[in-house]
Parts: sequence; C-alpha cells; structure tokens
Amino acid sequence: MSRVDVTAVTKHFGTSKALDDVSITFDDGGFFALLGPSGSGKTTLLRTIAGFHFPDSGSIRIGEREVQRVPVEKRDIGMMFQNYALFPNMSVADNIGFGLRVRKVGAAEERRRVAEALELVQLGHLGQRRPSQLSGGQRQRVALARAIVTRPRVLLLDEPLSALDKTLRVDMQLELRRIQREVGITTIFVTHDQEEALTLSDRIGILKDGRIVQVGPPREVYERPVDAFAASFLGEANWLPPSRVAGLELPCRSGAGSFAVRPEALSVATVPAPGKNAIQGRMSQHVFAGAMATCLVDIDGSYWKVIARDRDIPQIAPGADVWLSWSAADTIAVPTPA
Amino acid sequence: MRRPLLPVLGRLWLALILVFLYAPIMVMAAMSFNASPFYQLPFSFSTRWYAEMAGNPQIITAALRSVSIALVVTLIATALGTAASIALFRYDFRGKKVLQLLLFPPIAIPWLITGTAMLIFFFAIGLGRGTPAVIIGHVALALPYVIVTVTARLSSFDITLEEAARSMGAGGWTVLRRVTLPWIAPGMVAGALFAFAVSFDQFVVSYFLSQPGDSTLPVLIYTAIRKGFTPEINAISTIIITVSMAIMFIATRYSRFGGER
Amino acid sequence: MAEITATGDRRRLIAMLSPAYLWLTVAVFLPLSAMLFFSVLTALPQDGPDWSLTLQNYRLFLTDPVYATLLWKSLQLGLTVTVICILIGYPCALVLARTIRGRARETLFLLVILPFWSNSLVRIFSWAIVLRGNGVLELGLNAVLPFDVSLNLMFTTHAVVIGLVHSYLPYVILTSYLALQAIDDDIIDAARSIGAGTLTILWRLLLPLSLPGLLAGAVLVFVPVVGSFMEPRILGGRMGTYYGTVIEDQFVAVYNWPLGAALSFILLAVVLLILTLTSPILRKARL
Repeated sequence: MSRVDVTAVTKHFGTSKALDDVSITFDDGGFFALLGPSGSGKTTLLRTIAGFHFPDSGSIRIGEREVQRVPVEKRDIGMMFQNYALFPNMSVADNIGFGLRVRKVGAAEERRRVAEALELVQLGHLGQRRPSQLSGGQRQRVALARAIVTRPRVLLLDEPLSALDKTLRVDMQLELRRIQREVGITTIFVTHDQEEALTLSDRIGILKDGRIVQVGPPREVYERPVDAFAASFLGEANWLPPSRVAGLELPCRSGAGSFAVRPEALSVATVPAPGKNAIQGRMSQHVFAGAMATCLVDIDGSYWKVIARDRDIPQIAPGADVWLSWSAADTIAVPTPA
Repeated sequence: MRRPLLPVLGRLWLALILVFLYAPIMVMAAMSFNASPFYQLPFSFSTRWYAEMAGNPQIITAALRSVSIALVVTLIATALGTAASIALFRYDFRGKKVLQLLLFPPIAIPWLITGTAMLIFFFAIGLGRGTPAVIIGHVALALPYVIVTVTARLSSFDITLEEAARSMGAGGWTVLRRVTLPWIAPGMVAGALFAFAVSFDQFVVSYFLSQPGDSTLPVLIYTAIRKGFTPEINAISTIIITVSMAIMFIATRYSRFGGER
Repeated sequence: MAEITATGDRRRLIAMLSPAYLWLTVAVFLPLSAMLFFSVLTALPQDGPDWSLTLQNYRLFLTDPVYATLLWKSLQLGLTVTVICILIGYPCALVLARTIRGRARETLFLLVILPFWSNSLVRIFSWAIVLRGNGVLELGLNAVLPFDVSLNLMFTTHAVVIGLVHSYLPYVILTSYLALQAIDDDIIDAARSIGAGTLTILWRLLLPLSLPGLLAGAVLVFVPVVGSFMEPRILGGRMGTYYGTVIEDQFVAVYNWPLGAALSFILLAVVLLILTLTSPILRKARL
C-alpha cells in the first residue's frame, strides 16, 4: 500500500499531446476516480502510472520508489481491464495464481493465497472453472482477485464496470468498495460514468485535453466546480443568462463570470418562493418518471431542467408562466463564461 | 505503444525470411535477362530469351491455352460458387453443415490423389484426357475457394436489407440484382481472381489430365525442366510468377484475406 | 437466415446449390470413390474385356517392402519439412502479429503470403537455378567467402527439403499469424501488469492460445508434402524417389493404373486418417 505521486508528467503520441504537465497525488489507501470525456487523457494517465507508457518528462513515484522508467511488470501493481482480460486457456485458480507463480512464491503458498482471494471475492467454489463458464459478474470478481492477490502497492482499474448491466453494476460498485476497504489498497479508477465516480470514490480528478481540471472530494467537486467544464461534466447545470442576473443574490467569488444551478436545487411554482432567488419562465414539458419527474422550463429561449419528486411539481399547463426558485447558497459560480 | 518483444532480433528474422522467400525468384528473374545460356556470371543484360520465347510456338500455344482454360474456369467457378454461397448463407436446412464440410476435401487432399482419381474416372466414363477434362478438374478445385471467399463477404451482409427491399415490393430477382449482388461484388471479384490463379497455376491436376502435346503452360515447363531446361523457360516462368503474384495481390486487396486490424 | 418453408424456397435452394455440388461430385467425390474400385482390378475395363477383381495390388504393398519403405520415407519427409516450417515460421508470425503495427504489418504479411499463392512449380524451378552446381548460390558464396566452397546441394534430400519448406512455409505463418493476432492485447497487458516477463507471456499465454492455429498450419504442410512428387523430381534427382513419385510413375511411365490407384488410395487413407485425427484442432483454429 503506497501513495502515488505524479509530478509534471507530459506524454505525446506522435504530435498529439495526451498528457500535458499533469501533477496529482493519490493518497495511501484512498479510492480515487479519474473522470473525463473520451480523449481527455484519463486512460493514458492510468496506463502511464501502470507502466505501459513511459512519460516524455516528469516523474512518477509509487511509495518511495521512482518508477517512470520501470517497465510495467516490475512496478508491482494490480490492474483490472474493461473486458476483464482473463486468460482463456487457464482455470480461474490458475488465472489468480499467475502473478504468484511469476513471483515464485511456492505451490503451497500459492494455493493458500488463491483460496483466500477466491473467498474475498466470494467465488470460493469456482476455482476449477474456465473463464468462459462464468457470468459477467463472476469474471469481474476473478479479474479483481487476480489483480490484488499479489498484494500490489496500487490497484488500477480501467472502466472495470462498464461492461456490466445496470443492476449488476450497482452491486459490483458496493462490492468493489467493500473489498477495497477490506484490503486497504490505494485504488485509482478510470471511468466516464460520473455517477459511478461520485458513488465510489473518496476523491475525484477531472481531466480535459490532457490536463487536470479539478481534484477534490466528490461533494466539493460537485458543489464547487472550478470552471464551466467541471460544472457541466459532473452533473447537469442550468446556466443563468446574464440578462437575468439583476436582483438575484449571488455568491461573490473573485472573477466569477457565470452562474449556474443544479436541476435538483430548483423548485417550480406559480409564484416565487419567499426568501430565495427566483426567475420567471414558461412551462414547456413535464415528464413523469415514477417517483421522480423532470420538467423543462423555457428561460429566454433556452431550457432549464428541473428534477424533483413528482408530487412536488404542480400540474401546470405547458405554455403557462412559472417561477423557478432556489436558495442563494445553491448557486454555482465559475470564473469563465459558459 | 507496448514494448515489443525482442524487437530487433524479431525484425531481423522477418527480413531473413523475406530474403529466403524472394531471393530464388529474383535470381530466376535476373537470369532470364542474362545473355549466357548456362547461367554464367558475370551477368550481361539481354532480352534474347524473351525474344526466343516469343518465337517458340509451343510456349505461345501452351500459354494461350492456359489463359483460355483459366478464363473459362473462372467464369464457371465464380457463377456456380456465388450461387452456392448465397444459398448457403440465406437458407437454413438440414445437411448444411455437411455441405460446408464437403468443400474441404478438394483443398485438403493432395492434388496427386485427386488428379490420379480424376484421370481414372474420366477414362472410365469415356471422357479421357484433354482440355474438357482439365476444365472440369480445375473448376472443382477452384469452387471451394470461390465459395469461401464469397461467403466471407456475405457474412457481413445484413439480411434485413433483403427484407427491406421486399417490403418495398421488390421481387426475388430484383432483390438479388439490386441489393445482394452489389454487396458481394468485391467478394466475387476476389473469388474470381482466386479461381483464375488456381487454374492458371495448377500443375498437378493438369499434368494428369492434359493430352500429351496439348498441354498447359505449367505442364510444358515441367516437361522442359526434366529434359534439361533452357533460359526461355526462365523467361516464361518469370512472366508467370509476375502475373500470378499481381493477381493475388489484387485478390487479397479485394478480400482482405487475414491480417486486417 | 430463413428456415425453409415454402416449396418455392426449396426449389430455389436446390437450383442454387446443385450446380456447384454436382460438379464437385462428378469431378472429386465420384473419382475418389471410383479409385477404390479400380484399385481392386487386374486391368482397366477400357483396355479390354479381360479384367477381374483382385486384392493383388494391396497384397503387393504389404509384401514388397519398397512401397511401405517409400511411404515411410515420405512421412519422414513430411515430418522434417513440417518441423522446419514451424521452427522458422512461428517466430516470424509472432514478430508480425505482436510487434509490428499498422500498415507496415499488413504490407509485410501480404509479402510473406504472396509467394504462397504464386506458381509453386515455378518457385521450385527457381531453386533449381539457385542450387545447381556452379549455380548462383555457390558463385555468390565463393565471391563473398575467402575460401572455396562446393555446395553440391542440387539433387540431394537437402534440396528437396529446402524447396518444400519454401513452398509451404507461408501456410504455417498464415495460420499462426491469424491465431496470434486474434489474441486480445489486454490479456498480454494484464499478464504484464501482474509481473510476467516476455518469456512467461510467450510460454504461458501466446503459445497455448495460438496452438490450434500452429497445429492447423502443421497439418496443412504435412499432408501435401507427403503427397508431393514434382518437388522431389525436380530438386531430388536420383535421391528424389518418394511415395508420390512412384504413384506418378504408375500413371505416366509404367501404366499400371490399378497399382497406382491402390497406392493412391492407401495415401488417401493415411491423409484422411490424419485429417480426422486433427479435425478437432482444425475446427478450433476456425480456418
């Protein structure tokens, strides 16, 4: 278990810059999500930490060891792949034991630790199966067991849950978190699923165009995004048109140029709520979705989205005037204009 | 960007293999331009052997015969093979697996066996040796290649396109002509080129089935080699290998045979 | 794909399939079956009315050791050529499939398999020019090396093996390459991430995962080499008597067709046995 320090790492592929002066610290034992659109460099960063790429400049430390020139097989990491990448020619037990055999731990020790790892991922009875005989969720667990059985210093996960269907994915998220806590391993996790990142991690790093945009605990990043990109990428944001700013109580942050409100912070009514910020618009649509509902309200030609419990949204005919209200504290302020 | 396994040694190995594969062909081609009839060095350039080849009626007749046989074979094999591929692709029926498996004996059984078997059988039914026998044999050898190539192309064909065309009122023939055939055209071209190559390069089966004095080009070359060859044979061989490599080069472009990624 | 339902469909299916399969039947399957019949005749029916059934031709194979010895010699030749093709071709496929990327790989792959699709007789002939005494190889070596060498490779078993390896090497490369490039890159990355070095990856992953392809290539080399006759004739000279050349002789020189048919049929039996035994592998290689 170690902390990982990435310092001023730059990486080019041909002429394109995949990582641009990236510095980031992953705390010992933490669960860190790297989030960003495709092409943002999140996977490149993960694979550079793993050792599949060497950075053009900058340094990477795992624990006390400088590793930026160490090939992947010597870095003592564990990694899980999007499609699990189980060895199809080996049984589950041999898959998990592969890293131990490479390290020459001895047959008895290998058996013991494989059994232990299988227990940890609750697959104790499936050791002799082939990967092809397992379900998606089971393969997932085998891949995880294989990645941690060697007790690596850091666990790297490359969109490990994206191949699962929704229900299984939620189960596996909880399971992954439980196992990570139990083992206490530093974990870095790449995803494009913002909800997954918010649920699982202690800290989130948002990347864009090979640069780190913002790093922090999920709540902080969600509630206090540093710029318009972070605000729109992590969750949805309704941007306040400059013409409507007058008369509202807005946070004074230096250089703040744009303001936004999250859909779930808004309430809809025929009158403005007292003591809150409110703007008037025209009701456009009310979409029922079981417990929750979404409505779209036309504010000067752009649509604001409101997400609330269905019963909290009054039945208002489309085309009628409505008021959207929110607490001043829920206003997001970012420096650059959206 | 993974770190290659033993990259330098590997590439050297690959280069050596390419030398091994191409050097003799290059030497043969070079020698066909060498003036000395005994392949003596130093090399002195001459097109004499090509001139002599062009003036040798035996070689020219055999070459023309080979080309015409190959063209007929290509036509028949492509037509029959394409029809069979479409049927195998479009319909599900009992015995389909067996029919697909039956394509392999003509490819997998050594041509020596197939050729001698054909010889005996064609004599028994009164057909005997000669160009018709050669054509029948070549078509049989070429068919599996055409079917495999066209089927490979068909496997990426979306059958709902046919259904969509039908839903718009197109009849079976129109669907085939306007929807299916245009899609498999590249596969057919590749299959046809394979068929041409199989026939044009075919030696073993032609050897057993062609009439003495009425032989195809490869058979003529074999006989000439065994008699003690002359550089004219070099010249015609160089032409043959250039033609057949060019055909295969185009065919692989069309069929993307293996190796794309 | 449609299940056959209407009679119209059935008629169309038969109309499309029967020409090709009738052709294959007349030109391949009937002749192969007929060969069994002719191999038990004393003489060919077309040569006259005096023929009867006999097992003499098969008895000859069992009693005269010449034929069995030659078959054994051909099988050994097949084995030698196959092993050399694997030793040379597999590393080449490995380099192509796992270390070379992009367009260069496609081009190199094409270059490797291109000769395979070109005229095999002409390629064997080109070796005759290279290997003959006082030939290009010898002259070339003598020009480079400080001492005189005399190779005398032509008309030896070595020449036959070289020519056959040249002919069939691309098979092994082709099938191994297809198997190797189908291996998911992530699997290799996964192995490296948990500490496996190059040799471990080769031995524990690449080789086992591409084995069906490699073995399929081996079968595809072995079978035609056992039945080869043109290559030993041209490159082997007097050393070039093999099972295949004896069959050839029965048909073009000795004119003992029934014996030729019997020898061919025995070879066919051997080939079918090999193909049957290896068919699980061939199927697994999905060729």
